[in-house]
Parts: sequence; C-alpha cells; structure tokens
Amino acid sequence: MKPNVLCVDDEPVNLILFEANLNKKFNIITAHNAECGLDVLARNKDIRVIFSDMKMPGMNGIDFIANAKNISPQGNFYIMTGFEVTDEIQEAIDNKYISMYFKKPLNYMAISSEIERVLGQINT
Amino acid sequence: MNAQYDPLQHSFCLISGAELWTFGPLSIYLLNQKCPRDQNVIMSTFRFEYRITFAYLIIGALWIIFSDRAIDAFIGDKDLLTNAQTYKGWFYVLITAVLFFLFLKKHLAQLRRTESELEKHRDKLQELVMEKTKDLDQAVKDLYMKNEVINRQNEELRQALKDLQDTQAQLIQSDKMASLGVLTAGVAHEINNPLNYIAGGVAGLRSVMQECNTQNERTDLFLDSINQGIERISSIVSGLNNFSRNTDKYDEACNINEILEHCLVIIDSQLTNSISVARNFSDKPLVIHGNVGQLHQVFINVLLNALQSIENKGTITITTSAENHAAVVKIGDTGSGIEEENMSKITDPFFTTKAPGEGTGLGLSITYNIVKRHKGSISFKSEPNTGTVVTIELPV
Ligand SMILES: Nc1ncnc2c1ncn2[C@@H]1O[C@H](COP(=O)(O)OP(=O)(O)OP(=O)(O)O)[C@@H](O)[C@H]1O
Ligand SMILES: [Mg+2]
Repeated sequence: MKPNVLCVDDEPVNLILFEANLNKKFNIITAHNAECGLDVLARNKDIRVIFSDMKMPGMNGIDFIANAKNISPQGNFYIMTGFEVTDEIQEAIDNKYISMYFKKPLNYMAISSEIERVLGQINT
Repeated sequence: MNAQYDPLQHSFCLISGAELWTFGPLSIYLLNQKCPRDQNVIMSTFRFEYRITFAYLIIGALWIIFSDRAIDAFIGDKDLLTNAQTYKGWFYVLITAVLFFLFLKKHLAQLRRTESELEKHRDKLQELVMEKTKDLDQAVKDLYMKNEVINRQNEELRQALKDLQDTQAQLIQSDKMASLGVLTAGVAHEINNPLNYIAGGVAGLRSVMQECNTQNERTDLFLDSINQGIERISSIVSGLNNFSRNTDKYDEACNINEILEHCLVIIDSQLTNSISVARNFSDKPLVIHGNVGQLHQVFINVLLNALQSIENKGTITITTSAENHAAVVKIGDTGSGIEEENMSKITDPFFTTKAPGEGTGLGLSITYNIVKRHKGSISFKSEPNTGTVVTIELPV
C-alpha cells in the first residue's frame, strides 16, 4: 500500500497536477480548502505528510496547519506558496511548525524526494 | 585822606595789644559763623582759605585803624604809649595764634573726620565692588553655562530636524515601496500560479511520454525549452518579489551578483538601446549578510541615477569584487557627472537637480541610510560631462 499524502489547495488545477505527478509513489488525497483538509485528517489518522497552499480563501495555510497540528500532532507539514517567504512563513519554520516550504512553480522531483526522506525517517 | 592813611601805615610795623580786645571776639565770630546760606551768602560760597584770609584782612585792618586811635585817645604819656603799643602787638599775635590754632584744629578735625569717613566709605565701596564683581563673575559664569546649554539644545534641535527629514524621506520611500510591494507581490502570486500549471503540466507530460515510450530527443528539446522559459519567468518574478520584500532582518544571505541581475531586470524597461550595460562580475558568488529587499533598493537607486544621467548614448559599467571581508560594487556611468558644489549634498533628503516630477531627491538619501545600516560605505567620484563612479562596500 502506498503511503497517504494530503494536499490542500484552493485551485483545482494545482490539485490535479499534484496528484498526477506524485501518484506513482504515493496515495494523494486532495482537499480544496482548509476545512475539508481538517475533515480528511480527522477521518484518516494515518496521514503523516501534509502539503498546504499558503493563500486560500478563509483559513490560510499557516492557520490550517495550526489547527491540523491539534488533530495529527505527528504530521509533517509543508507550505506551498506563490510568494517569496513571508515573515509568517519564516516564523513557522523557525518554530518548527512546518518542515519546509516549496515555491511555485513546484519542483515535483524535489517534493517526491522530501516525502520519501521524511517517511523513511518515520519508519526507522 | 591823610587821617585814614596814617594808621594803616603805622599798623604795618606794630599792632597794639588793646586792638585785640576789640576785634578778637568779632574775628572769632566771623570765622566760626555758620549762618544759614541766605543770610551769609558770600561767606558760605567762598572756600575756607578765602574766608580765613578775608577775615584776617578785615580784622587786621580794623584793628590797625581803631586800636591806635583808641590808645591815642586814652593814653597821653609818650613812653607809656610806646609800651602799650608793644603789648598790643604781642597781644594781637598771641590772640591770632590761638585763634588760628583753634580754628585750624576744628577745621582739620572736620577734615580728618571726613577723610576717615571717606576711607570707611571707600572700604565699604571696595567691599561692595568686590561683592558685585563676584556676583557679576557668577552671573557671567551662569550666562556662559546657559549659553552652552542653548548651544547644545540648538545642536540637538538641528540633529532632530535632520532625523525628522531622514524619517520623512524614509516614510515617503517606504510608502512608495509598500505600495510597490503589495502590487508586485500580488502580481508575483498571480504569475506563479499559472506558471505552476505549466510546470506541473510539463512534468506530467514527460512522465506520460516515458510510460508510453514516446519520449525522444525532439520531445525532450521542446519540454526543456518550456522549462527554461518557466525558470526565466520565475526568476524575474522572484526578483520583483525580493525588491519589495519588507522585513527588517539584516542576517539574510544576500547574493550580490544575483541581486544586481534582478535589479537590471527591474529597470530593463528604462534601458534604451543607446545605453549598454557592461557586467564585470566576480567569478565566485559574492554573498554577504544583510537585508535582501533593502539591497535591491540600493542598487536600483544607483542604477536609475546612472541611466538618468546619460542623455543620449552611454555605458553603465558594473564591477563586483571581493576585497578583504567586503563585497565591493562599482557602478560607473558615462553621463552628465555631478558638479563639485553638489557633491556634499547629493545624499541629503530631497536634494535633486532633476525637474519636479522627475526626481524626489530621496534615492541617494535612502541608499545612504541602508548602506549605513549594513555597516558599509558609499562614495562618489565624478567629473562633470564625463561621468560618475559610485562605489559601495558592504562587509560580509
Ligand atoms: N550617476 C549620477 N550622475 C549624475 N548626477 C547624479 C548621479 N547620481 C546622483 N546624481 C545627482 O544627485 C542628485 C540626488 O540623487 P538622488 O538619487 O538622491 O535623487 P534624484 O535622482 O534626483 O531623485 P529620485 O532618486 O528620488 O528619483 C540627483 O538629482 C543628481 O543631481
Ligand atoms: Mg535617484
């Protein structure tokens, strides 16, 4: 069974591409906003890797992760952003809230190897 | 005539004793007279020496005239008369001596009293003067101190004014930057998202082709060129984003050559064909610790000045190098140059030689402040009608 990875983004095209480019190695679950993402996490306690877009209507990426941490404290969180690093993101990295951030346009190879690295760490 | 003349002549040889009996008291009275002024105006208006001489003359004269007559009238015997005249003379001398003595004594006593009073007064005056001098000294000292305080306050005020101007300049500039920042960040986001579609699409296509074994050199060529385009757009957007980035951290890794490239991209639209840019960048990357966004502002301001100084054709030369723990950036132009008298003013806020609307005069004052915050230095070498070289040194 492929490991579960959650991707939260308000743009459908981004979700489709994320899934299409990474589904060979991972089972990608997608959510089109933060609330859906929290729902998915609540139902699937074994999701260890979570990606979230930064700018979304309603809850933004950092707010989503703050809530998601309560549901799955062992999760590894990543931010995807179309902006440069903002102070908010930098602060989240400094506080170890998120492990890393990825700038759009996304480099799926880099994402894939990061997921493998972190899952490898969890399994050992 | 003769009757008046006779006794006068006589009196010059001898004065009879009896004469004093008559005139002694009168003379004392006269000399000691202290009449109210209106009653004895002549006596009081004359000084002591005049008074005494005058009184002596009158008394002497009267004595001579009347004493001889009196003796003549009373004494008939010739021998007795001679004796009486001798006694009269002695008597006169004695009485006048006593009178002089008394009078002088009184007068001198008064003088001495006055003198000692004067002396006392003078001492007091001296004391007073000394006291006043001391007071004055203190007052002068106080004044001096007050003056010092005022001078210091003046200096402080001048500094405060300068700070205010600097702050005002910074506010205006940061306002400009902030609105530019919001704009470029928004634009960057809007560009990066569709760019992500393209990048994701290309990545997906490549893997599909691999799966279907339809991948070949030509498809790779096309996919690679799309990827190159994506990278180029992405770096421009990232440059825009960096420029307007608003943090106050001074420990970000700043790649100077990269930042200069971004800045050239940003001002590219203003670089006409007649202005060429020569890059003499260091081979190794120049990385210092600082604020990425602010360093973009520094180079943009200097580059804009350089290109604005070139009227028709010209060259902007950018040289970067590493020199003992500092990154050195030289930006030269073949433009109008800076007049000698303006050299000290160009970093003042609001100093501009450009037409209203073309320059605010803030560029270099902001640049100067940012460089200072990075503990670096900026210097200008310029020759009117030849060009300018701006040297910026930033410690690693
Ligand atoms: N490379 C240069 N060549 C000639 N003159 C220069 C150069 N750089 C600066 N100056 C002179 O210094 C002045 C001040 O420059 P500064 O960048 O502070 O303001 P500005 O360019 O006039 O306005 P702004 O930068 O706000 O648009 C300019 O008006 C110009 O006279
Ligand atoms: Mg300028």
